[in-house]
Amino acid sequence: MISFSQVTKRYPGGHEALSGVNLAIEKGELVFLTGHSGAGKSTLLKLIAAIERPTSGVVSVSGQNVGRLPQRAIPYLRRNIGLIFQDHKLLFDRNVIENVVLPLDIAGLDRRESLKRARAVIDKVGLLKREKANPISLSGGEQQRLCIARALVSRPALLLADEPTGNLDAGYAADIMTMFRDFHQVGTTLVIATHDDRAITALGGRTLQLDHGKVSEAAA
Amino acid sequence: MIGWLRHQKHAFAAAVRRLGAHPVATLLTALAMGVAISLPGGLYLGLGHLDRLAGDLPAQPEISIFLDAEASNAQKQAIAARLKQTDIAEARYVPKDEALAALSAAQGLADITAGLANPLPDAWVVRPQTASRAELARVAADLGKLPGVAEIHLDSQWADRLQAALAIGRTGVWLLAGLFAIALVAISGNAIRAQVLARRDEILVSRLIGATDRYIRRPFLYVGALQGLLGGLAAGGVLAVVGTLLRAPVEHLAGLYGSAFHLLPPTATEIVAVLGLTALFGWLGAWLSVTRALRQIEAAR
Repeated sequence: MISFSQVTKRYPGGHEALSGVNLAIEKGELVFLTGHSGAGKSTLLKLIAAIERPTSGVVSVSGQNVGRLPQRAIPYLRRNIGLIFQDHKLLFDRNVIENVVLPLDIAGLDRRESLKRARAVIDKVGLLKREKANPISLSGGEQQRLCIARALVSRPALLLADEPTGNLDAGYAADIMTMFRDFHQVGTTLVIATHDDRAITALGGRTLQLDHGKVSEAAA
Repeated sequence: MIGWLRHQKHAFAAAVRRLGAHPVATLLTALAMGVAISLPGGLYLGLGHLDRLAGDLPAQPEISIFLDAEASNAQKQAIAARLKQTDIAEARYVPKDEALAALSAAQGLADITAGLANPLPDAWVVRPQTASRAELARVAADLGKLPGVAEIHLDSQWADRLQAALAIGRTGVWLLAGLFAIALVAISGNAIRAQVLARRDEILVSRLIGATDRYIRRPFLYVGALQGLLGGLAAGGVLAVVGTLLRAPVEHLAGLYGSAFHLLPPTATEIVAVLGLTALFGWLGAWLSVTRALRQIEAAR
């Protein structure tokens, strides 16, 4: 599903986040990216979602050369990817359900159908009672779950999560990891950047170790 | 197709909400546009009234017919008979002696003309039944073909001059309208630019979850078009107030001239055209502004 071939990403200013990375992730896999902060975990995820383009090498997702994708094709790539951000990136000018329904609005779905699906996903992440609340009134864990709900509502085949449990206490983190395991079990491909070792040992799965822009396979 | 319609509906609803969320800003922008549009709009209406006034004036264009010095009596009688036909309202014969006497008296040329043989021809001064320019030209051409007529002089210069002045006015209105259309685009663009920047987060997030630029742009375009439409309505309001204030004095002045002249409101077609154009220019300003702002946001990321 995802393959990197000799991928290097150098940011303006010369910092090399990734150096000659080769990797392949199969459909339905659950993969953890670990490594110290600044090791290139976020960059790797951004390259998959075409948020950044590689300086050299080929990033391919579902057979598409993502680095060479024309600007107008990128939105359609992203609609098939659920993105979960460490800083949530929620919109505080609208309530919980409006945040979740946004990807479906963008895809042009029928409004009533969209709301039904959004409500189902919000229920799954345990926020149904807060559907009319403004996200700013939610706790950190609830905001993270809301972000996950928004990533899931369009039923993407690929889920990318950048430090999804970064700022959460252990209880919330375990909840969220349990949710990820459920998605994995229904066939979603997950790539999770984290330095939460407990989560990795709890879920199992493949772990890719990033160190100064180089990737190595770690023993699970 | 259904998805597209849904997008339009969403975008339109979002635009109405955004305008409604800032009623004061919306009204002020509409007012700025309205004042800008009412200038060329008012001028256009004013010229229309002048045009109508010129058409209504009891115009008395005259045709002067100068007879050939060698015209026979039979020819002169034929001409006199022709001038009794129904398309001629009035015809006055001016013999050459009378013309010379009048000229001498008027210009004080008696000393000079006294010794000369009379160089002036006999003439008719004719007023046609219908005063329209086309009819005037037709009658003049017709008379010019009669035997014994040396020259025809069509006295419609004043009408031509008025038409020329009105033509300048009309050109001026279009130039002014063009300038104010640019102002409209600028006002709309400026208002939209502020909105785009205020929604920077939303735009960035929307892009991350698969929004096309077209999707992001659409509500702003509707806001621009609606804002333009409101501007057009505001201009209508301004002109209605001006018209109401001017009506009594104009009718008083017209009354002094014994005329029933009065101000007329613009036609439905004119109103629709103005609203359509203001919406279009509002949309255009929004498009320019959003496209530019999106590029800036993209570059700043």
